[in-house]
Amino acid sequence: MFFNSIDFAVFLPIVFILYWFTFNQNIKTQNVLVLIASYIFYGWWDWRFLSLIVFSTLVDYTLGILLGTEVKETKRKIYLWISIIINLGFLGFFKYYNFFIESFVDAFTFFGQDVRVTSLKIVLPAGISFYTFQTLSYTIDVYKRNLDPTKKFIAFAAFISFFPQLVAGPIERASNLLPQILKKRKLNYEQSIDGLRLMLWGLFKKVVIADSLSPIVNDIFENYSTHSSPVLIMGAVFFAFQIYGDFSGYSDIAIGTSKLFGIELMSNFKFPYLSRNIAEFWRRWHISLSTWFRDYLYIPLGGSRGSKIKGIRNIFVIFLVSGFWHGANWTFIFWGLFHAVLFLPSFLCGTNRKYINNNVNSSFSFLKIVSNIYNTLLTFILVTVGWVFFRSATITDSFTYLKIIFTKFSFEHYTHPNGYRLIDYFILLLFFMIYEYIIRNNERNPIGFKNEYVRLFVYILLVFLMLLFYDDGVDRSFIYSQF
Amino acid sequence: MKKNISKFVIYSIVLLLSLELLVRIFHLHNERPERYLDEYGVEKWIPNQVGYSITGNRKQNVGKYRINNFGFNSVYDNYESSKDSIEVAIVGDSFIEGFHQNYTNSISVMVEKQLPNIKVLEFGYAGYNFSEELNLIKSYNHLFKDIDRVIIYLRYTDDLTTGEYKVSNRLSLNTPMNRLLKKSKLIVYAKDMGLFDSVKNKLISTRYKLTSAIGFIKNLISLRKIPDLPVKPYEMNEVNNDSIYLANFKKLVKTFNYDKKKNVLLLDFSLCSKEFLSYLRQNNFKTINFDANFKKHIRPKILIYDQHWNNLGREIIANEIVEYIKNENLK
Repeated sequence: MFFNSIDFAVFLPIVFILYWFTFNQNIKTQNVLVLIASYIFYGWWDWRFLSLIVFSTLVDYTLGILLGTEVKETKRKIYLWISIIINLGFLGFFKYYNFFIESFVDAFTFFGQDVRVTSLKIVLPAGISFYTFQTLSYTIDVYKRNLDPTKKFIAFAAFISFFPQLVAGPIERASNLLPQILKKRKLNYEQSIDGLRLMLWGLFKKVVIADSLSPIVNDIFENYSTHSSPVLIMGAVFFAFQIYGDFSGYSDIAIGTSKLFGIELMSNFKFPYLSRNIAEFWRRWHISLSTWFRDYLYIPLGGSRGSKIKGIRNIFVIFLVSGFWHGANWTFIFWGLFHAVLFLPSFLCGTNRKYINNNVNSSFSFLKIVSNIYNTLLTFILVTVGWVFFRSATITDSFTYLKIIFTKFSFEHYTHPNGYRLIDYFILLLFFMIYEYIIRNNERNPIGFKNEYVRLFVYILLVFLMLLFYDDGVDRSFIYSQF
Repeated sequence: MKKNISKFVIYSIVLLLSLELLVRIFHLHNERPERYLDEYGVEKWIPNQVGYSITGNRKQNVGKYRINNFGFNSVYDNYESSKDSIEVAIVGDSFIEGFHQNYTNSISVMVEKQLPNIKVLEFGYAGYNFSEELNLIKSYNHLFKDIDRVIIYLRYTDDLTTGEYKVSNRLSLNTPMNRLLKKSKLIVYAKDMGLFDSVKNKLISTRYKLTSAIGFIKNLISLRKIPDLPVKPYEMNEVNNDSIYLANFKKLVKTFNYDKKKNVLLLDFSLCSKEFLSYLRQNNFKTINFDANFKKHIRPKILIYDQHWNNLGREIIANEIVEYIKNENLK
């Protein structure tokens, strides 16, 4: 069930009403409803995959309790590794099995050895990468004694499967979400309205930005060899906005939906295209994943402590794993590698923490403004080059795409087979970025203007734009739900 | 709580009213003329209506139409024919009707520009099939008998689904409820954009699932053999229709006493079956095939969000007709 489907439009109000007006006697009934609703939500794709979530939940619930009671460090380590092996084992099998088999065969073929191993027809369960990381964070936190294990199974199962963020995040930490699930929630009108506003903003980004650009992006990337440099640049820029609209739109709807149920999820995006260097970009893009890797991989590996060489190694590890997390394809690994290379200069020069406060500077110094604009544009260009790896079907395609960008400089009048009017999209993206700049300091309340009339005007404008850009013929699924 | 709910309701109403206003201000909605069944039993547009046909969700194509006294979109107020002048009629569905262009730039106007001595009359009506086209020609025999050539646009895949003439159910859509809904331009626009299609499809599939589930449970209770599931809506069309189309064509030609000397079929050969084309050849039906010239042009020949011909497509059709008339050497 996707957030932008009719099913969800029926499902959400029913669950909302039941949650606040029927199951509101105590926490247990509220959590039972959350759990049932979450399983229905997930089972809507394929009920068979529910067994995976249920199994993961049972394993990590039991291991959590064992970790909490066990005193011997060796045994605790074993429990932790059982959790890691089971969770990553599922992920590895469903997501990476065929990739490893095919890469293995390719490698042997390259050296002249004929190896015959058949790949399996494996269907990737929706959101497996997200809930696997969420449940892993719980066992790791309990192992590190940063969190007390819960004995309330329903609450724990509701935490693992909480439907607003189950399929595409944000990847929540047990330390943030679990205490909220263990506490009785009360209907808060302001919080609900904030949630609805975020949902509207997320839906706008999905329908108007991502979905409307997707047919143009698909056409350009599928036929890139027939186009010239300007068209391919346009395709890459449009994809940059498509993926941002798609994924951050999903996150906003997820955070907004959670607010309707009295639960606050972490922010996942903070206007990443306003970043002034790559380090800042990664503090603003898919925050829940980058902080997960920082806390559970980068820091345990030593982080930036120790020698520079060790720091560089850790950076490459974290970016390569992050790329690989996105999918079983060399394109994602290259994307990760590319970002590691981009990150390196600021790490070596010590500027990776320069914009740590996350606020886009709005001082009135002319030079500062020019420098900010220059840095923002440069960062956006570099990130967009990286998106070419991410979007291309194969690694060869991505290099050829980039080669054409840098070699085939001829003007070409691009016409999409459906004849979309391109000027509409340029104007749209320009105003979108201006609006993002206006709301740059408040990603959790993008329509939170003090003046009621201004808010009403923005509501009308957003819905009107959705009407203008709604395209019945596009695939409306979310890109990140495939990961 | 009550205050909050009423505030929410007021906001929603203001939002809907504002959207209605914006759709009207920017004239995003499509306008459709009213239909009727005339004294000959021919379905046409009510005469003397003017409006704008709009396609695409950002007003991507606008065409002004003007329904004449006869009930068709045309530059001519009235249709008359005489033995002394050369007249050609083009009969067809929405492709010939041409709401997706200005009526002053129709295929007939394009043909007349190249052949000033010939008058081209258009009889295009959205949804007409071959039986309705032949019924029109027969019903208005007094007009068509003096017309030198009648070019009938036949869209093979759509127009031969029936072998007999029946009054269509399009007029039955003109219910008071539909008329009322059409007053909201926001609803008209949203419907044209396909916003309600997903709801409609969902209802159809839910009904199908429910029927299947109820049938299954009923049979399980009565311990009977489980019958086959009802045919899914989309499976019903997966039948090869070529033999049916050919049979329907033969039947209609016979019923309406098709004039092979005067009538010419305007066809896209690439859509037709081999059997159908060979039947036409063997029985000396006059045809114009525009497929080859359509394929010669790389640029798009159809509109955005619409399968109708764009300006280039219409130009190609007009040129084909001009070539045909020149070759026929009408006097």
